[in-house]
Amino acid sequence: MSLKRVQQWATFARVWHIYDAAWQNPFDSAKLLRKHLMGMHKPIYHPLNDCGDHVIVINSKYIALPGDEWKKRVYFHHTGYPGGASWTLAWELHTKDPTMILKKAVYNSMAGNLQRRYTMERLHLFPDTEVPENLLKNVSNQLEQLRPKPKRLDHYDENYVKEFPKLIDLPKDYVLR
Amino acid sequence: MVFTSIVNYVRARGPDEFWRKRKIFKLAAHYIGRRRNCYSIAIRNVHRALVYATKGRKLKKLDMADLWTTRVRAGCEQHGIDYHTFRESLTREDILLSRKTLADLACWEPLTFKSLADIAKIRAENDGINCLSRLENSDGIVSWMLKNKNEY
Repeated sequence: MSLKRVQQWATFARVWHIYDAAWQNPFDSAKLLRKHLMGMHKPIYHPLNDCGDHVIVINSKYIALPGDEWKKRVYFHHTGYPGGASWTLAWELHTKDPTMILKKAVYNSMAGNLQRRYTMERLHLFPDTEVPENLLKNVSNQLEQLRPKPKRLDHYDENYVKEFPKLIDLPKDYVLR
Repeated sequence: MVFTSIVNYVRARGPDEFWRKRKIFKLAAHYIGRRRNCYSIAIRNVHRALVYATKGRKLKKLDMADLWTTRVRAGCEQHGIDYHTFRESLTREDILLSRKTLADLACWEPLTFKSLADIAKIRAENDGINCLSRLENSDGIVSWMLKNKNEY
């Protein structure tokens, strides 16, 4: 009997995942996060079955929007008063709150039902790698990034860059911009 | 029209009003407020409810099919195989199980489902269907924290 009881606990236990949002498209990531928040990655999934997991998202400051969406994507807000409408560009919103774009992407990827607010409470967003210890100790799984994170040129070893095979030697007076 | 029989002079009025309305009120018994007591309001809502019920019979089937797909897809991802690859490989192996059966196996008989996934994976590998995910490579262990934090 006790074995079945433990099996029950293990089946319905909430798993804590961690996801590194650095260099990831927030709108593609939202689909992945939504799946884990709602528990759609479990074969026991049912819309009425409260089997969603927690997801900690780190490095939301370093998300990568596709194309020129930093300049073109607009977030609408209305205070409710006359003339209270405001439109904020994605880059402006991101400077105000580096977690907001990802949060809204996840929120909008879910159906607008009563469960959505409670599902969102299981999403923990952090702009960088500073995560409270009491959250971090729950984590038992890391979600795979959707696209590989490119390594910046200035993060490579200086000698490695210098000795990397070149096609041509640039002239001395060539101005590199 | 000429009536030859005296019986046909009596106006035929269908079923009695009480019994006719009672059928509707029985369907509206669980409604709130005047919807259950006033006939003209009750019949409006009963008609609307019956339309929903008619549409719902179709939608229920679609919803269940969606749920089965979600469950089978979740089961497939746990074993590192794409849903479409899984179904295609099972078909090629002549394991002709329906979505409902597969969903039941994924939910209630995870070990049976795992063996099906293994069969599908081997078949997909043999047939060169290159849709197997990289699950084997990920250890599922939090190792990023051990690396340096100043990478960004």
